[in-house]
Amino acid sequence: MIDGLRLTFHLAGINNQNFLMRDEQTGSYWQQISGRAVSGPMAGRSLTLVPSDELSFKLWKSEEPQGTVVRDVAAYAREYSPENWDVDMAKARTVLSFPEHGMKQRDIVMGVQAFGASRAFRYDALLREKLVMDHVGLEPVMIAVGPDNASIRIFRRHISGVDPAPDFYRVEGQSALFIDAATGSGWNFQGCAISGKLKGACLERVETIKDYWFDWRNYHPDTTIFAGTRAAH
Amino acid sequence: MKTQRPGWMFLLLWLAAGAGAWALLIYPIYVIRPFRHQGARELLIALSVMRYRPIGMILAVGGMLAAVVWYWRMEHRKWRRFFSTVGVLTVAAAALLSRINIYELMFHPAGTPVVAAATESKLDGGEMVIAVKVDGAARAYPIRSMSYHHIYNDVVAGEPIVATY
Repeated sequence: MIDGLRLTFHLAGINNQNFLMRDEQTGSYWQQISGRAVSGPMAGRSLTLVPSDELSFKLWKSEEPQGTVVRDVAAYAREYSPENWDVDMAKARTVLSFPEHGMKQRDIVMGVQAFGASRAFRYDALLREKLVMDHVGLEPVMIAVGPDNASIRIFRRHISGVDPAPDFYRVEGQSALFIDAATGSGWNFQGCAISGKLKGACLERVETIKDYWFDWRNYHPDTTIFAGTRAAH
Repeated sequence: MKTQRPGWMFLLLWLAAGAGAWALLIYPIYVIRPFRHQGARELLIALSVMRYRPIGMILAVGGMLAAVVWYWRMEHRKWRRFFSTVGVLTVAAAALLSRINIYELMFHPAGTPVVAAATESKLDGGEMVIAVKVDGAARAYPIRSMSYHHIYNDVVAGEPIVATY
């Protein structure tokens, strides 16, 4: 929606392997990653980002039992890629190359642009470490892998009345997924305390984009990288 | 007034209109093609060409139609008339093709999304979804279908949104 005008988008081009969308109503072209119009009557305007998560279906369903799922389009469902399509995609050629920090162009990162800084968290390192205490700019954040070992969420480690920002530890076999070092309260993957002194408090979510390294780096030239606190095995 | 060489005149017009129309058609396709590096400037030029080329195409086709009418008045030999008509059609073909966006054919649009309740969905538990929540209404877009269609124009809790992958 822009100025009360409801836009309908089509995939209409590609810009260094990040696609361009054309809206039917004004014919403007929009960049996918930024939601910003790059050409046409809407040039310079931006769509409002709707917060989103990339979760396993099982985890999402447990959090949102009343939710709805978009069905496959029957006519094309047979052509959908297999579940492991990303394995082949990882080998596809890229037209941009940022051979920095030992990154491969199609390494997957969770990118955060917030608090005046950009930071890319290596997806494989996050899955390996499960819970990471880190900073984006000067802001303490934590990156948490869900109980399904696949979904990832990022939170500010800011709790009113708790200063400095506490570290969190992962716990196994309890209804809570982690506890904070300041009060020992138990927190779930939605970032809310479900036991202890802070019960009922919720951490603020930090928006993240799952992206290929080359694409993230192209749009965030100043990005720093989190490659893991421990060496990869 | 009678022009001495209507054939040459028509040929020149055809070359100009044809080259212009085909350049307008091909340049954006050349620039915006997969597996090619797109420079910021050339991309903006290509997108501007796409934006304004209907005007160019109308001028080219309109000019050629006027030219062929003029030419037929001058020229009565059938085969010359035939080739002049073919000339107009080559320009019209570029104009028609410019109305088609290859990407919009290549990536099949998903149309209006049809949804199922989370509890009724047959989706495998391990499949990844993009999840959004708008005004308390939760919706999930399976990645496997998103990586095929790439775009869903959807409405969640009355709010129009576009989900992209």
